[in-house]
Amino acid sequence: MTTLFFATDIHGSDICWSKFLNAGKFYEADILILGGDMTGKAIVPVVHQGGQNYRVNLLEQVFDVQGSDELEDMLKRIRSRGYYPYLTTPDEIAELEQAPDKIHALFLDEVLKTFQRWMELADRKLDGTDLRVYVCPGNDDMFAVDDLVRATRRVILSEGQVIPLDDYHEMISSGWSNPTPWHTYREEGEEQLRVRYEAMVKQLKAPQRAIFNIHVPPYKSNLDEAPELDSNLRPKYAGQSLVPVGSTALRQVIEQTQPLLGLHGHIHEGRGASRLGKTLCLNPGSMYEQGVLLGALVKLERGKLQNYVLTTG
Amino acid sequence: MSNLFVRKATGLVRSWSVFDAFIYALFSINLITLGLYSFSQMYYFGGGLVPALIISAIFIFFEVIVYAALIAVMPRSGGDYVWQSRILGGGIGFVLAVTGWWFILWLWVPLYGDMLRHIVLVPLLGVAGAKEAALWFAGSGTPLFVSSIITLALVSLYISLGMRTYARIQKVCFYGGMLGLLIVVGLLLAGSPAAFQSALETNAVALFGAQPGVYEATAALGTNAGASLPFSGGSLGLIFLTLPYLVFFNLWPNWGATLYGEVRGATDFKRNISGMGWALGVTTLLAIVLMFAIRKTIGWDFYVQAGAAWWNYAWGLTSDAPALPIWPYPALFAAFLSTSRVLQFIVLFLMGLWWFGWSGTVFLSSTRVIFAAAFDRLLPEKVAEVDSRTGTPVYALLLMLVPSIIVSYLFAYDVGGFKSLTLCSTLVIAVTYLGTTVAAIILPFRKPDLYKASPIAKYTVFGIPLITVAGIIFGGFLVFLLYQWILDPNALYGIGYSINPNGYKNGTSILYMLANYILAAAIYLGFRSYRKRKGINVDKIHAEIPVE
Repeated sequence: MTTLFFATDIHGSDICWSKFLNAGKFYEADILILGGDMTGKAIVPVVHQGGQNYRVNLLEQVFDVQGSDELEDMLKRIRSRGYYPYLTTPDEIAELEQAPDKIHALFLDEVLKTFQRWMELADRKLDGTDLRVYVCPGNDDMFAVDDLVRATRRVILSEGQVIPLDDYHEMISSGWSNPTPWHTYREEGEEQLRVRYEAMVKQLKAPQRAIFNIHVPPYKSNLDEAPELDSNLRPKYAGQSLVPVGSTALRQVIEQTQPLLGLHGHIHEGRGASRLGKTLCLNPGSMYEQGVLLGALVKLERGKLQNYVLTTG
Repeated sequence: MSNLFVRKATGLVRSWSVFDAFIYALFSINLITLGLYSFSQMYYFGGGLVPALIISAIFIFFEVIVYAALIAVMPRSGGDYVWQSRILGGGIGFVLAVTGWWFILWLWVPLYGDMLRHIVLVPLLGVAGAKEAALWFAGSGTPLFVSSIITLALVSLYISLGMRTYARIQKVCFYGGMLGLLIVVGLLLAGSPAAFQSALETNAVALFGAQPGVYEATAALGTNAGASLPFSGGSLGLIFLTLPYLVFFNLWPNWGATLYGEVRGATDFKRNISGMGWALGVTTLLAIVLMFAIRKTIGWDFYVQAGAAWWNYAWGLTSDAPALPIWPYPALFAAFLSTSRVLQFIVLFLMGLWWFGWSGTVFLSSTRVIFAAAFDRLLPEKVAEVDSRTGTPVYALLLMLVPSIIVSYLFAYDVGGFKSLTLCSTLVIAVTYLGTTVAAIILPFRKPDLYKASPIAKYTVFGIPLITVAGIIFGGFLVFLLYQWILDPNALYGIGYSINPNGYKNGTSILYMLANYILAAAIYLGFRSYRKRKGINVDKIHAEIPVE
């Protein structure tokens, strides 16, 4: 029997990454799969006020931090929510406000630094274990992170690959999504997505026993229900109105191929399990901001799905 | 956080409209359905209704704080089930969530059905000239059962239409219902007691076959039934004893809470407080204004007496049938003040929208809890299946529909005294709320990292976290309610095992509620054991993975 643990959309949360690496031992899993969107969404400036004093505005709360212990605690708190702390000065903040282009470079720098730290942590933690760890960057992840994954010893980049998980099961992976209102890094039209998926499906030895690790959920699978937004990206009807936003191409390919399992993310609110014909599709959802690692534990045995459960770690 | 330092990424949306959140919370504490229904049943209490409304709203505001705070700490979690499971443990979370958000909703169905016939079917049929049909629906037994089945059909339709459509229906109902209420209040404020007596006499006789002298006869029956609820006044003790009945109406502003969206900070915490808080405040104010308008034209004594005459007979406490053969619906009384049948129909139709905009939520929480439990493998996977053609969660719906039909039957035909269980509907949910409130109280101490990194960490009262302080106050209120309901020392509520020698020891009620908890515990323990045999340790589902 092969036990795999799948999590997704941890968006820069240090806690969630550590929990992900520890999940193999905790849940007695053989394989860990991270489904994408690993990078954070915001930088939190830690502004030097002179001496050992800093000021931080975190979640609309102003914190005055004094001394190295408090500073370390604050940096940890910021990272735990998936944000990137950035030590800076009032002068630099003023300069950045005048030149927003520099923010992008700053973001990239912070993302890559954190990602590099994560990969080093993975190598350290996984050495001496038999765990296999696969990551597949999602639509929110810049392309530069792929090289950092490739450079590690213990984490395998699975984007676009057909990977044998055991003697019976192969996995295909993609972090690309259909277009979103945010115009993120890895988006393309449904037709291009279909071509992308089919190129991998063609290489599968036994598609019916395959695992589709595809970041975006299939359209109208109930795993893709997100709050309906107006043109200003404001949730309509106070978030009570939900609409499907998944990929129609993925749904078609799953319906045609009928793989054993679909592992998805992208829609943090879409936690659940859904059957498309013979295929079980899972979206564990995401609560990365709270440092809670939502996941799916799946047991596979000789081409069959033995059992599964969604976890809240 | 400055937008300068936030990049474009999936899910980063702007804040939702507080006004929209207000609408959904306002429907949850529904003045016209829950409010008027419970006020009419409270005829025998001694505490003033207006001060009771105000005092209950003050306590319930702390509920608003507790829930807004929990949403801010753990948004997108799905609510009580995950909060309790995470903080108190999976077993407690499961039992309290499925009893409070699923099982007890079976009992709510006949109550929704009862309100449907009194607020929508009977008045509209009567004004439309279908006297016999109206009077049939006002009767006991089969009419209530049929009304409950209609309710189930409508709710199933809403679920198949999906939340996107129902959210739009609710918004239309809000504007239409508010217009209706405005007209009702206007009619009542413009009317006079003499005009009302005359209009009641004319319309009740013509539309519903009442005998002449219906006003006096109703007043006499109500007085004999013990009508005593004052408009205001009453000692503080008597007012507090009114609250366990009143909360059937207003304990629910959190049902409209917005759980979705990426919480950016304290602003979203305040938005949820505003949405729910304004709904609570405005509903309380509207209730007071409506009661004032009723007092001015219908007359407070008559309003209470009419409720007493109706319920005293409906509950089987007297064999004297009410002189007014329909439930005393204040909006219908107000409509009587117009001589135009068309205007009467329009007003009653608009007021009926209060029921339609509210009724769809009866199964919403239930389907969410059923799905969450299935994903945790504490129910079969099948129950979370959604029909691909209609988008309807067929099996989850059946888990609501079938027991609801049975409970509706027991309630409609009063099998084993089932009709006395009305307040159990509130008690069981209050127990669930108490579990969530305890989770909120201890959150800063059980999950300090989670709490400290949340947008509510800055809110303290004398150094104590606001969520803890609000939780203690609201939790204390819930304990008071539960004590009154279960031990009923003043023999007022009739759903517990009264310690008063003259009180009611309601075996049906206690057995029904215990059966709910036993069933929930049995499902949890049974599935935990079954899953363990299949290689899944359910205890680990909600356990925190070590970080280091």
